[in-house]
Amino acid sequence: MRDDRSTVSRRKFVKLVSGAALAAGISDLGSAAVEAQSDTAPGPDASERELALAALDAARTAGALYADVRIVRALSESIGTRERQITNVSKSESYGIGIRAFVGGSWGFAATRDLARDAVIRRAREAVTTAAANDRITPNQIRLAPAEKVPDGRWITPHLVDPFAVSLESKAELLFRINDEALKVKGVRFVTSSVTSLKESRLLATTDGSVIQQTFIRVSPNVNVTAVAADNSDSQTRGATVGPAGMGWEYVTGLTLPERAIRYASEAVAKLSAPPVEAGRWDLVLHPSHLWLTIHESIAHPSELDRALGYEANYAGTTFLAPPDQVLGKFRLGQPLMTFVANRTEPGGCATVGWDDEGIAATSYPIVDKGLFVSYQSATREMVDLVAPISTLKKAPGHSYGQDWASIPFPRMPNVSLQPAARNISEDEVIGAVDRGIYIEGDGSYSIDQQRYNFQFGGQTFWEIRNGKKTRQLRDVAYVARTPDFWNSMAMIGGRQTYQLGGALSDAKGQPMQLNSVSHGCPIALFRNVNIIRTA
Amino acid sequence: MKALADRILSFAKADQTRVSLTSGVSEFTRTAMNRLTTAGGTTDVTVRVTSAIGKRVASIDTNRLDDAPLERAVRDSEALARLSPENPEYLPEPSAQSYPEVSAYYASTGDLTTDDRARSAALVLERSKAVNTIAAGFIDVFAGSQAVANRNGLFAYHASTGVASTLTVRTPDGSSSGWAGDEGADWTTIESERIATEALAKCQAWRSKTALDPGTYEAVLEPTAVGMLMSRMMNAFDARAADEGRSYFSKRGGGTRLGEAVFDERVTITSDPAFANGETAPFTNIGEPTRKETWVEKGVLKSLAYSRFWASKQGVPSKPAMSNFIMNGGDATQDDLIGSVKRGVLITRFWYIRPLNPRMLVETGLTRDGTFLIENGKITRPVTNFRFNQSLAELLKNIELIGRPTRVCASESSSIGAPIIVPALKVRAFTLSSVSDAI
Repeated sequence: MRDDRSTVSRRKFVKLVSGAALAAGISDLGSAAVEAQSDTAPGPDASERELALAALDAARTAGALYADVRIVRALSESIGTRERQITNVSKSESYGIGIRAFVGGSWGFAATRDLARDAVIRRAREAVTTAAANDRITPNQIRLAPAEKVPDGRWITPHLVDPFAVSLESKAELLFRINDEALKVKGVRFVTSSVTSLKESRLLATTDGSVIQQTFIRVSPNVNVTAVAADNSDSQTRGATVGPAGMGWEYVTGLTLPERAIRYASEAVAKLSAPPVEAGRWDLVLHPSHLWLTIHESIAHPSELDRALGYEANYAGTTFLAPPDQVLGKFRLGQPLMTFVANRTEPGGCATVGWDDEGIAATSYPIVDKGLFVSYQSATREMVDLVAPISTLKKAPGHSYGQDWASIPFPRMPNVSLQPAARNISEDEVIGAVDRGIYIEGDGSYSIDQQRYNFQFGGQTFWEIRNGKKTRQLRDVAYVARTPDFWNSMAMIGGRQTYQLGGALSDAKGQPMQLNSVSHGCPIALFRNVNIIRTA
Repeated sequence: MKALADRILSFAKADQTRVSLTSGVSEFTRTAMNRLTTAGGTTDVTVRVTSAIGKRVASIDTNRLDDAPLERAVRDSEALARLSPENPEYLPEPSAQSYPEVSAYYASTGDLTTDDRARSAALVLERSKAVNTIAAGFIDVFAGSQAVANRNGLFAYHASTGVASTLTVRTPDGSSSGWAGDEGADWTTIESERIATEALAKCQAWRSKTALDPGTYEAVLEPTAVGMLMSRMMNAFDARAADEGRSYFSKRGGGTRLGEAVFDERVTITSDPAFANGETAPFTNIGEPTRKETWVEKGVLKSLAYSRFWASKQGVPSKPAMSNFIMNGGDATQDDLIGSVKRGVLITRFWYIRPLNPRMLVETGLTRDGTFLIENGKITRPVTNFRFNQSLAELLKNIELIGRPTRVCASESSSIGAPIIVPALKVRAFTLSSVSDAI
C-alpha cells in the first residue's frame, strides 16, 4: 500500500521534496502553483473566459441591465504545530462561479460550484430572476456610476517565492525551530505556531466589456507562547507581533521568527511576575504592530461610505462620521500631523489588487488630510454618486470585493494607512519625549461600538516608560477612549524608518458575513494622557 | 451522499481515510435604508478527505466532484500525510457507530423561495416606512446535509435546515435604534410581524435617552443578551484546558473542578442534538456520536469535553464538546424580572464581545439597540449605551430570577449559528464600565 518514499528518512526526505520536487507528489495543487511561479501575470484560462462570457450573455438575454461574473479558484494551505508536534496539515481548493445581475434598480446573485455550461447558464438566469423578483416586490431606484472598459486586464501579487512552491517539510521545520527556541526558555509550557498560504485565481467579466484575470498571493504566519505559573495559578500568553502580507514566502523567511520566538517566550514568562498597571491617565507609545488595529477599528471602519449611508445598520453598524454633508471637509479627526490614505496599491498590503470586483482600477487617495476628514472609502459604483457632489471622491475608487465565488461583491475596506512624519523621527526619539508612559507592542483584546466611538484595546506586551526610557514590563493593560478624543491626543509620529504594515485576513462585515484581507501601515506614534484601565 | 462517500473511499490507499461532506443551498435577502439591497443564493458541496499513514495525518478540501479531481484529492491527502511529521495525538478512525435519531430538516425552511423572502422583507419595510423609521434586516436561510464516512465502516448522515431573521430599525436622525430577531430550524417559528413590532417598539422607547453613570448595577438581560454571552462559554467546558491550568475550570494545584459548585444552584446547562428547533448533527466531525449531556447541574460542574486523545491520556471515556447550549429556565415573566429590580438596567443585546481574561471568563463588549433604567420595578427612562467588563462566571453566580428559555439569534452577524437556548436573567450585579455615545 505504501510507496517507497514513506521509508525514506526524514532528513533525506527534506532534500527530496524541497522546492519544485514537491510537484511529483502533489499532482494538482502543487503543479499549478509551480507553473505560476514566474512574476508575470498570467492571462485568463480560455475555457473559463468562454464560460464567463456565456454567463454574461445569458444574463443579458434574460433582461439584466448590467451583470458581472467572477470565476474564482482559491487554494489554501495551512500547517499548525504545537510544541514538538503537528496539529494540522490541510489544503483546500474551492472553485466556482458567482453571477450578479442588475434589473431595474435591484440586484440578484446566484453562485454554484457546478461549472458545467448548462448549470452556469441556469444560475445566470436565476440571478436575473432574483433581481427581477426583488425589483417587482420592492422597486428600487439606484444607478451605477460608469466604469472604464478593461478588455484584457492582468495582475499578480508581486512576490519572489510562490508559497505553494515551498515544501511542507521546510514549512514544518521552520515552525518546529520557532517552537524549540521558545521552549528553551524556562517557564514556557505551551507554544503554538502556524502558517497559512493563500493563492487565488480570479477572473472577472462584466457586461461593460471588461475581462480581468488576477492572481492574489497572501501568507500569514502566527506564533503564540504561553507561560504557566509553577502552581497553575496563572497563565500568560504572548502572541506574535507579525501580520499577514500580500507577498510571497520571502515575507515569512524575512521575519526571522525563531529569533523573535526567544523574545516572545521571555516576555510571556516575565508577564507572570509583571506588576498590574495602575489605572489612570498615561501617555502611550504605540508600536505599528499594535497601532494598525486601532487604525482599522477607529479610522478605517468609521470612514466606510456604506456604513455612513446605512447599508450595514443591522450588523456592522453605522458611523459617527455621518451624515456625509455634515462631516466631509468639516470634521476634525486629529492634529495636522495626521494623514490617512486609502490605498489598494500599497506594496505588501493584503487588500492590494490591480482591479476591484466591478472592474475599477486600484486607487490611492487621502481620506484624512492633515487631521481633516475629506473623503470616505469602501465606495462602489452604486453609491459613489450619492457623495460625489460634496466629496473629493468623484469616481468609484475600486473598493468592491466578494470574499470568494460564492459571495456577492460589496464595499470592502482598502488598505488604510497613517502616513509617517516627513522628518526621519526614530522610535527612541518618540520614547524620549515621554516622562511617564506605556509602550504597547502587538494587538490584544479589542472591542469597539457599532458607531466606532467607544473603544477598548489591549496588547501583547506593555512596557513602562520613565523619563524617556523603556523600563519594566506591566500587565493587564487596556486603554479606553472616545475615537475623536484619542486621535486628537496624538502628539508625535515616527518617520518612514518606523513605518510597518499590520493586518488581518479575516475582517468580518456584511450579511451573509464575508471576510476581507486588509493591511494598515503606520509609523510609531505617541498619544498624550490616555485613560488606562486594569483588566484583571 | 453515501454513494459519493463510497466513491471517494474506493480511491483510498492510506492506513486510515475519512471523508466529510457538506452540501447545501444558502440563500439570503438583505434590506437597508428601507429598501431591499441584495438577495441571492449559493449552492456548494465540500469534500474533506483526511488520510492517515501511521500517525502522519493530512486533509484536503475540495468542491470538485468529478472522479478525476476526487481521486486527485485522495492522492494529494495521502502525499501530504506522508510529508507530515507524526502527530502523536492522532488516534485511528472510529468503527461503525450508532447515533440518536435527529430529524432536523424542516420543509417550511427548505422550500422557501426568493419571492417568499422578498415578501417577508417587504412587509417589514412597509411597517417601517409607515412610522417614518429606517429599517435594515437580514433573512439567512440554509438547507442541506452533512455526512462523515471512513473505511472502518462508519457512516453518519444528517440533513438540516436553519433560518435567522433579524431587523434593526433606526430613526432618520440616528437618535434611536431598536432590534429584534428570531432563529430556528423551522421557518414557521420565525415571527416576522412580531420581530417588526418589537424592533419598532424598542426604537420608539429608546428615543430621548440620557446619560447614566457607569457602575455596577442590578440588571435584567433579555434572552438575546444572555445568549450572546453564553455562546462565548461553549468552548470553556474543555477538560484539557482545565487540566493544563488554562481554564476557569482548572483547580489550583492541578486537575479540574469537576464535582465542585461553580455557579448559582439554579444554573443547569445541557446540550442535546435532538432539542426541537435547536437540533444539531448527532455526530462530530470524525463521526463520534453526540448525545444529550449535562455540563452543569444545579450549579455543580458535571462534565467537561474530552477529545479522544485527552480521554485516552487521562483514562476516561471521550466526550465530544457541546454542539448546542441549553440553559434551563424558571417561570418568571419579563414583567416579573423588571418588577424585581430596585435600581438597575434592562439590556436588549450586546455588540463586539471579546475575551479579556479566559481564565476568569471575563469578557468586554457594549450594549446595543435598547438600554433602559429600571427604578422600583418600573422602566423609568432610556439610557445611553455602555461598555461592560464582566466575568461570565460571576454573572452565573449572581442570578436572582430566571425567565423561560427560548432559542435566540446569538451571533453578532445575525447569521445562523450553533443553537443557543437561554432564558432572560435578573442578576444582582453587572458592571457597566464606561459610557458609549454610539446609537
